[in-house]
Amino acid sequence: MNRPFQLRSTSFPGSRPLLIVVLLLSCYLGCSKGGKEHTGEGRNYVVIAIQGDVDSFNPLFAEDVTAGEINDLIFPGLLDSKFDTTRGVLEYQPLLAKSWEYQNNNRDIIFHLRTDAKWSDGIPVTARDVQLSFELYGDTDVASVRQSSVEGLRRTKKGGLDIHEAVEVVNDSTVAFHFERPYPGQLFDAGLPILPVHVFGKLPRQGLRENAVNQNPIGSGPFLLKSWRPLQEIILESSPASVLPKPGRLSKIIFRVIPEPRTRLAQLRAGEVDLVANVRVEDAIELEKSPQLQIIPTGERVYDALNWNNLDPEEYAKTRGRVIRPHPLFGEARVRRALTLATDRVEIVQSYLRTFGRQAIGPISPLFRWAYNDTLKPLRYDPAAAASLLTEAGWRDTDGDGVLDKGGRKFSLALKITAGDQLRSNIATIVQNELRALKIDVQIEQVERSVFWKDLMQKKYDAWIAGFSVPLQMQLDEIWGSDLRQSPFNLVSFRNRRVDEILKEAKRIQKETDHAAAWKEFQVILYNEQPCTFLYWLNGLVAVNRRVHGTDIGVLGTLHHAWEWHVEPPLASR
Amino acid sequence: MARLAAKRLASAIPLLLGLLTIVFLISRLAPGDPVTLFLSPTVPAQVADELRRQFGLDQPLLTQYLRWLSNAIQGNFGVSFSHQRPVLQVIAAFLPNTVILALAAIVLELVFGILLGSLAARLHNSFIDKAVTNIGLIAYTLPTFWVGFVLLAVFAYAFGLFPSSQMHSVNSEALTRSSQLLDLLKHLVLPACTIAIPGGAGIARYFRSSLLRVRGEEYITVARSMGIPERTIFLLYELPNALVPVITIFGLEIGTLLAGAIVTETMFAWPGMGRLAVMAIFSRDYPLVLGCTLVSGLVVIVGNLSADLIYSVVDPRVRVPS
Repeated sequence: MNRPFQLRSTSFPGSRPLLIVVLLLSCYLGCSKGGKEHTGEGRNYVVIAIQGDVDSFNPLFAEDVTAGEINDLIFPGLLDSKFDTTRGVLEYQPLLAKSWEYQNNNRDIIFHLRTDAKWSDGIPVTARDVQLSFELYGDTDVASVRQSSVEGLRRTKKGGLDIHEAVEVVNDSTVAFHFERPYPGQLFDAGLPILPVHVFGKLPRQGLRENAVNQNPIGSGPFLLKSWRPLQEIILESSPASVLPKPGRLSKIIFRVIPEPRTRLAQLRAGEVDLVANVRVEDAIELEKSPQLQIIPTGERVYDALNWNNLDPEEYAKTRGRVIRPHPLFGEARVRRALTLATDRVEIVQSYLRTFGRQAIGPISPLFRWAYNDTLKPLRYDPAAAASLLTEAGWRDTDGDGVLDKGGRKFSLALKITAGDQLRSNIATIVQNELRALKIDVQIEQVERSVFWKDLMQKKYDAWIAGFSVPLQMQLDEIWGSDLRQSPFNLVSFRNRRVDEILKEAKRIQKETDHAAAWKEFQVILYNEQPCTFLYWLNGLVAVNRRVHGTDIGVLGTLHHAWEWHVEPPLASR
Repeated sequence: MARLAAKRLASAIPLLLGLLTIVFLISRLAPGDPVTLFLSPTVPAQVADELRRQFGLDQPLLTQYLRWLSNAIQGNFGVSFSHQRPVLQVIAAFLPNTVILALAAIVLELVFGILLGSLAARLHNSFIDKAVTNIGLIAYTLPTFWVGFVLLAVFAYAFGLFPSSQMHSVNSEALTRSSQLLDLLKHLVLPACTIAIPGGAGIARYFRSSLLRVRGEEYITVARSMGIPERTIFLLYELPNALVPVITIFGLEIGTLLAGAIVTETMFAWPGMGRLAVMAIFSRDYPLVLGCTLVSGLVVIVGNLSADLIYSVVDPRVRVPS
């Protein structure tokens, strides 16, 4: 073949030297260890992989769990908390407050502050800081997500809140909280993080959310914010002068934002990170095999349920909530009970949660031993009994199409789940098959998270899988109160007078555990009524490298008492 | 050329305005509520109402649009709901990261593509030519996430040659400047290659075909017969003419990459515009969505303009009268 041109040199002038440069550079870059940290010191720090960035370094606005835990290390409160797992109660210990006493029939709590606590800029922490902090928490212009914490404080004669009266500065080291009436969460609400008055006192309240001061927090805690690279890394540094309670034993805690779960776990296995929270069950089972890693459960504070809308959503929407009628499918307790009997929750727990979860019978976690009704046993999987209950309720397949019907209405429903949630997707499939055996037609629909929750709050769905993370204080009225406007999170719209009484009484007692019998009765009511099919309690799982010691990972979070963490021995730089 | 650039940029203003208006409407009309993400049973309903008021979401749509437009004209794109900082400040923190990744990827694509394309054209019909063509086709069609996973599995996890995520190593702030730069380069290799491998394969194919076509032109034969050195022929005659399709790809690629490579950024935890935009969409962070749209629109326009300008330099026949 004729070749009109033949090149004698390389096709691209300069390509040979360019190639050589690229090869040398690749060798150089590749020869040094990739992915390993550079240290100028022994590695006296811990690296934690987190899924997303913090939303704020100001406890007024931080909604994210990780952000809240980080802020607690920077801005300690009056009290340190501890969860007694034997009894299932929160207990409090001194932190900024070295002691406190009750007065005025427990309506007032006088806190005596440490006199040696200082902010990181050297200014002493005083009672005025405490007062301002609660002023900010309660200010509607600030719109703090923790605004509910001031609701128990004493009101003025006109019914408003005057924080200078309610949180009284007695002197620099004494602050008095005056409550409207005694209630179980007084210490919990008074224990919020404290902010510096000399920083926040002079800032305008409007626009405080986006003020640059939130990115450079001045704290008094065992750690300070050293640096923050958005969506990359947060570095907390031990604060040598802190007395609340003491400087962190680690020189640093480094948070690396790694959105991909596989990457987080790969880095954990490789030793590049030391701790990963919210580990999935299937991953935990694999990680447990590694001798270098340990899996620590954080306690059963999250439950999932098959939720049945107890009211008719169409009528509710049409009348804008004025008319509440029972749902044509789920309005009857025996139908809901039938659906629970038709769901094999043992299979779900064994298949997907293994030893890291257990069946749920109600919304009160077994963690709260004083309130949990352990006489109630989960309803056993019994499709025959379920079918019988449905027949009793009038559901029969009158037209032979394989789907139950009653009064011309098919027992057909759309089961909504949040998109991308593999666990709930698997559960939905199991439920679909089990209900199909009872001639109930179930269509699974995945909905994007933001849309899902907006539609739920508007009570648009008939059935869905979702759950709640339960607070450490027994505050259930937002979720189970019958007044649907006052209880916007009563998403299943369950209404029961006795439950309302129990919820109301709970706010009037001083000691939480005094209400144990009522809470047990509450669980019996829900057990009988089955407003939703409680599926399981999920144990949060944290994977930690065994070189990290002194952790107190549990019910109170991953970073609880992180000032005690240490690594032994500190590794030499590599 | 300067007049052309100015004219094109001026005409981009109504285009951007139209784009932003459409995105404004779509984002507001789409289901979902940004305030929902702040809510939980422990957050009172009045906080949600106050947040809606602070975010301006309690106003009629037209009022929201006019207020936004008025502020935007003055360079104020509002405050990001999720980041709780001014939108431009948020974007300023992430855009440089995307620029670094995009430029690195583009450079690698061009170098790989032109080198391989030249090699294949030079050894036309040989085994090497066929290998470059066929493997290039496969590489061109590979999904980005698959390329990324393979690179991670081999170079990060198996051999530990390069880091698996992020832009910097732990404690990199303790390093000297030059070491920090080297650290950044090491972190850049895998994500840039993830983008560059399929892109470079495409460029190789286009460049090979274009170079073969140009080499068959009469003026090349004439140049050779006049005794002009091969290197000169390649640099002055073949390369500029063969680069025309590559310039088209460059113009499209630079705009797309600067808007953010979401898959690559997520896999490698690279904090760039792609991740930022997707997170803004999911959290219904309307001001940030609009800010990211503005940046995307601008870079696509500038990318296309750059391609046109380079065209006119490389090939005077396509010089557009200004």
